[in-house]
Amino acid sequence: MMFPALDPLLHSELRLAVISLLMSVDEADFTYIKEQTGATSGNLSVQIDKLTAAGYITVEKGFKGKMPRTTCRITPSGMEAFKNYVKALKKYISAGK
Amino acid sequence: MEENANLTAERSLEIIAEQIERSRNVVAKDTGQSLYLSGLATMGTAVIVALANGLSASPNGHLLWLVLPFIIWLIMRIHDRKQAQVPVSLVGTLVGRTWWTFGSIVIGFYLFALIWNFMALRLFDDHTTAAQAMVTITPVIILLMGMAVAITGHILKRRWLVLFGILGGLLVAFCEYSGVIGSIIAYSGASVKTIIVFHVIKPCLSVFLFSLIGLVIPGWMLKKQNP
Repeated sequence: MMFPALDPLLHSELRLAVISLLMSVDEADFTYIKEQTGATSGNLSVQIDKLTAAGYITVEKGFKGKMPRTTCRITPSGMEAFKNYVKALKKYISAGK
Repeated sequence: MEENANLTAERSLEIIAEQIERSRNVVAKDTGQSLYLSGLATMGTAVIVALANGLSASPNGHLLWLVLPFIIWLIMRIHDRKQAQVPVSLVGTLVGRTWWTFGSIVIGFYLFALIWNFMALRLFDDHTTAAQAMVTITPVIILLMGMAVAITGHILKRRWLVLFGILGGLLVAFCEYSGVIGSIIAYSGASVKTIIVFHVIKPCLSVFLFSLIGLVIPGWMLKKQNP
C-alpha cells in the first residue's frame, strides 16, 4: 500500500498547531496564537514566516488603538493543504490498526 | 510548544484536536462571562421593576424593561474593552447570532404586546374580556430565553447547558401559566393589596428566577470550567 507523503511544512508541532488554530477562527492575533500554543515570540515568528512564504496564511500588520497588532488568517490553499494533511494522517492511522 | 518535526500520526491528530478544543473553550469562557453579566443585569433590573411596581401597586414599572438592552450593551462594551479580544470563529458567531435573534424577537414582541395590551384595555369596557384579549408576555420571553440558552449549549457542546435552558425555561413558564404561587397566596388569606402587589411583581420574580437558573449559574459554570 502506498502512503501519501505528509506535507513537511505542516508536519511540525508548532506549525501544525498554528494552522489548526487558524482553521477554527476567521483570524487571530499574534498574541492570541502565542498564548494558545505556548510558543516563544521568536520561534512563532519564524514558523509564521514559513507558513506565509508557502502561501498557507496571510499576515496583516496594523494598529489597535495605539498598540501594534499582527493578524494572521488562513488562505484557501492553507485550508486545502490542511485537509490533505488530515486525509493522509487518517490513511497512516488506519493502516496501523 | 517547540519546533519538532518527528511527529507520529497520532500526535499530529492530538495537536489538531487540542487546538480546536482550545479555541472552543476560549469562546465558551467568553460566552460564560456574557451570560453571567447579562444574567446579573437582568436580575438587577427585575428587582428595580419589582420595587417600582410594588411601591406603586401598578404594572407601569414594566416599562423599565426597555432600558435593559441598553444596560446589557453598555456592560458588554466595557467588558470587551477590558478583556483581550476573542478571535472571530464560527462557534462564536453562531452563539452571537443566536442571542442577537433572541434579543430582536423579544424587543419586537415586547413592543407589540405593550401596544396590543394598551389597545385591549381601551377597546373593551369589560375587564374580563380585556384580560382575555391581552397577550401574556413573561412566559413567552422565558421560553424564548430557555431556547436560546439550550441552543448555546448545543453549539458549545455542553449538554448540561442544554438541560438548564430547557428545564429552566419550562419550569418557570409552567409556574407563570399555572398560577400555582398566586393561588397559594390567594388561598392563604392575604389582603387584596398583597394579592395586587404579588400580581404586578410576579413577572419580575419569574424573570429573576430564570436569569439565575438559565444565565447566571450556567455563565458562572462556563467561566469556571474554562480557565
